Amino acid sequence: MSAGPAVADAPLPPGEFEARLRRIGDERYHHRHPFNLRMHEGALTREEIRTWVANRYYYQTRIPRKDSLILAKAQDPEFRRAWISRIHDHDGRQPGEGGLELWLALADAVGLDRARVESLADVLPGVRRACDAYVELVSQSDLLTAVASSLTELFAGDIMAVRIAAFEKHYPWVRTEGLRYFRTRTVQAPADAAFGLAFVVSEARTRADQQRCEAALVRKCEILWSLLDAVEAAGVSPRLSPHAQPRLGDADPMVVLPERAVKLTGSAAEILSLCDGVRSALEIAGILRERHPGAPGAWDDAHDFLAAMRRQGVLLPPA
Amino acid sequence: MDAPRPYNLVAELTYRCPLQCVYCSNPVGWRDVPDALGADLWTQAFHEAAALGVVHVGLTGGEPTLHPQLGEIVAGAAAAGLYVHLVTAGTTLARGGLAALRARGLRSVQVSIQDAQPEASDRIAGARCFDKKLAFAEAVRAEGLPLTLNVVLHRHNLGRVGEIVALARRLGALRLELANAQYDGWAFLNRAALLPTREQIDAAAEVVARAREEAREPEILWVLPDYHRDRPKPCMGGWARRTLVLAPDGRALPCQAAGELPGLEFWRFPEHSLAACWRDAPGMNAFRGEGWMREPCRSCPERARDFGGCRCQAHRLTGDAGATDPACALAPQHGVVLAARAEAERAAPDFVYRGSPRPR
Repeated sequence: MSAGPAVADAPLPPGEFEARLRRIGDERYHHRHPFNLRMHEGALTREEIRTWVANRYYYQTRIPRKDSLILAKAQDPEFRRAWISRIHDHDGRQPGEGGLELWLALADAVGLDRARVESLADVLPGVRRACDAYVELVSQSDLLTAVASSLTELFAGDIMAVRIAAFEKHYPWVRTEGLRYFRTRTVQAPADAAFGLAFVVSEARTRADQQRCEAALVRKCEILWSLLDAVEAAGVSPRLSPHAQPRLGDADPMVVLPERAVKLTGSAAEILSLCDGVRSALEIAGILRERHPGAPGAWDDAHDFLAAMRRQGVLLPPA
Repeated sequence: MDAPRPYNLVAELTYRCPLQCVYCSNPVGWRDVPDALGADLWTQAFHEAAALGVVHVGLTGGEPTLHPQLGEIVAGAAAAGLYVHLVTAGTTLARGGLAALRARGLRSVQVSIQDAQPEASDRIAGARCFDKKLAFAEAVRAEGLPLTLNVVLHRHNLGRVGEIVALARRLGALRLELANAQYDGWAFLNRAALLPTREQIDAAAEVVARAREEAREPEILWVLPDYHRDRPKPCMGGWARRTLVLAPDGRALPCQAAGELPGLEFWRFPEHSLAACWRDAPGMNAFRGEGWMREPCRSCPERARDFGGCRCQAHRLTGDAGATDPACALAPQHGVVLAARAEAERAAPDFVYRGSPRPR
């Protein structure tokens, strides 16, 4: 921007600030994520849908805790009266009601075992980190930026409508009562977002405040994006790069690559030996968990190791 | 002393080379070093190296493709179970020759260019070769082999790091090695003509940081310019610690330049087994570990990271290979590096090419 410092420091007019927030969503919200695009095109397998439902449940469980943190930051009773409705929406007024319950109904509808989903045993480590990062972000923020980070709701109404249509069209095997969560959110999300947006626009009094809000929304979009990255990676069936020379049987196993070698410690060699381009990351981590019941970290470690090997070019997606 | 496990073998097949790069890492007296090992002995060396723990071999030189038995050498390295990597200037081999090497077990190739612009690249190489190099790099990719592009950086090409990255991307390089020149051997003779200014390095480092954010490939290695860093480079990952160099005459060395250090006794393969050359040669043990270190290295918390820096540089700049590397700001003789930096701010003299008659 070419404006001088005095002008640059002045807050943007409300309309322009709101436009900026909306542009962040246009560019960075997870409606653009390849996994969501594939979901809405009807390209996901049943297994991928189930993985997403089981993992996204962890996100749902974090939401009322996040909203409780926001409540605790608020001085204004009117704000608290409004915001507490989110917790009621999510948890219900009594058992068997609310958004969390509706998500479990979705889990039933896609053929998952409800108790298994509630146990969180199949939550991917990348999903856990993303969701925990969101709670942490809100916990560390002041009220204004905490609310700003919730503004992804601005974009949620649209994605829910697309999703309902996509499920009805492409995934008829998902029983229709499972879609009630999405239908409910098409109403709740815009109302919640309108309240949050009005609060952020009026309370961000300086350009610096506005910039903190924009940054919080960007961060939140990144968190949602990385959640789907993790879900997507779990469905990929990794294979060894043709450039890699595995030495899995050595006393000190390693993989040799052009001008470097990666040492394989712990169960790394065992994990790599399962990477045949057919088994998915999910299946491989499941095998490790079964084989090593005494190692509570086996599931997480397998997923994290596979992700690290993909970053380093040792593993590739299927040809 | 217990010798650590070497992982990498640098096999210098010959010091002959059609290029005359002004920063060549070969000994200044390279003409006196015979190519003593044929394919049989190289193959024997590969098996002995594998037994020592080596998993990767870089076939280099000089120009390794000038060795008349390169095909058998590649096959021998592959038979020993090593990952076979070729480091070449890319001017001597056509695609057919490359395909034949691949069929015998070659797994990856590093091609050096000297700049992103043909005239500038040829000027540093002392030969017209740029177009040939690019064609060869394309042949490497066409053969499905992973490509590393190597560029030694100095005051004449640091301003074009962005173009070099773009070229590496266009060529489909998996890795780009941006190696700020190490001022030993020929590069030391040409130091005043090569050493960049601090501003040049900072600007190039920024370009590299941006390029890394733009895309994951190529992976960019930025070999630190120790003259400007106030800390020494972790030379070879430590003296005789991870890498074993076998020179064309069969001498086993801890690095490409250490053979020129006076007073150190290195052993020759196959007169001695490769294991003996690595474990027991007095020269190999001269600076192994930390026992040789003096203050300020001996008690320095950074010694495990930089291993005391470069012995060849210490000798080059102080006359004493056991001295603290003067690249370190804590070194008593850091002043010589400061003086070289000051010199870099002035106009640069002409190059001495590696093919030139023996320099004074």
